Amino acid sequence: MSERHGPVHDCGGDAAAYVLGALEPAEAEAFRGHLLECVVCRDEVETLAGVVQALPMSAPQHAAPRRLRRRLLRAIREQPPSRAATAGRPASRRRLRPATLLGAAAGAAAAVAAAVLIALGGGPGATLSRVIRASVSGVSGSVQLRISAEHGELVARHLSAPPPGHVYEVWLKPAGSGPRPASVLFTVNRDGFADVSIPASLRGITAVMVTPEPAGGSPVPTHAPVIVASVA
Amino acid sequence: MFRPGHNRHDLRELADEDLMELVREGDARAFEVVFDRHGGVAFSLAYRMCGSSARAEDVVQDAFVSLWRSGARYDRARGSVRSWILSTVHNRAIDSFRRESARHGQDVHDERLAELVPAATTTEAEVQQRDDAHRVRTALAQLPPDQRRVIELAYFGGFTHTQISEMLELPAGTVKGRMRLGLAKLRGSLSAGGLTP
Ligand SMILES: [Zn+2]
Repeated sequence: MSERHGPVHDCGGDAAAYVLGALEPAEAEAFRGHLLECVVCRDEVETLAGVVQALPMSAPQHAAPRRLRRRLLRAIREQPPSRAATAGRPASRRRLRPATLLGAAAGAAAAVAAAVLIALGGGPGATLSRVIRASVSGVSGSVQLRISAEHGELVARHLSAPPPGHVYEVWLKPAGSGPRPASVLFTVNRDGFADVSIPASLRGITAVMVTPEPAGGSPVPTHAPVIVASVA
Repeated sequence: MFRPGHNRHDLRELADEDLMELVREGDARAFEVVFDRHGGVAFSLAYRMCGSSARAEDVVQDAFVSLWRSGARYDRARGSVRSWILSTVHNRAIDSFRRESARHGQDVHDERLAELVPAATTTEAEVQQRDDAHRVRTALAQLPPDQRRVIELAYFGGFTHTQISEMLELPAGTVKGRMRLGLAKLRGSLSAGGLTP
């Protein structure tokens, strides 16, 4: 670690435990709050997260078992993403180039854009039930959370790109506990457009949040959310 | 999307991020290439964490199915697809620990170890990967054992610092301190070897 000059700021060494995922849930929650205010800890988290990313390499390296490969490839062939990620919508919907189609609506007022989205997803048999406008802070653009059955999809327009070397990471916040990773990373195209399916169920989730994180994502949020869609 | 121009050989020439574009469009062969590239390291991490080949396979299967379904978009920054896969595998393994009430420590290995095949090192990328792995292992091995132990218990074992201090009968605060010293030292040796930014 590089020597840090200037005032010594001891935050109890929580950053290391945090990036290792070793804080107790309440501590992690408090530390996330602290991160919003403390640039020293943010910096330390970012630095140490890179070290933690190298740790998997220390495990003895094996080839993936053939049996696993066969089972996995069978599973994905039975479950094409066009059906799985967009359950309840016509399969052809995903084949359309969303950037082109929705780009046309990008300049329209939010309400109009939402109507266009519903029209796109709302063919016979579609179960799009809600479109929620997310609050956006610290970045520009607009984001909607579209919910079909229990599944959500974030649609962003004119959204600022994440800082260099970063991606956006999606988090799901259940009632009464801290956000957990949705295992979804994304960035935006040149026009600030993104259309992101959230694979996990939204049952019991009160908010869908997005934070900028170092490329590759983070096991825990290291920045304040820039996008928050309240589901409850 | 139907891409008559891509045969399996062409796909193997593509960068991860380009493959992920095809995966988003439902290209199962592109997905297969992504798995062949990262399935080994993903399985090795899961196996190190779960100590059982069957559980490790379930964890990796879950993580890759979610990769297939989520259609996540990737930054073109280096190594991001791999990091994403590894962090998903890590999270899934910890979820599986937490679902299970009685669990074994991460040092327990099952009888299938004998069946496991060491990772191949035939391509340049595989050789690079083996060298990187060697460097990380060496760096970890050079840590004072007290520091290495808490890092391994937290990362591979999924234990919190409180659980670790109970296990090792250490005062609260000591574990966090060792984690901090250990990671800082690791960072020093890895960045000397060009492995972390
Ligand atoms: Zn601080």
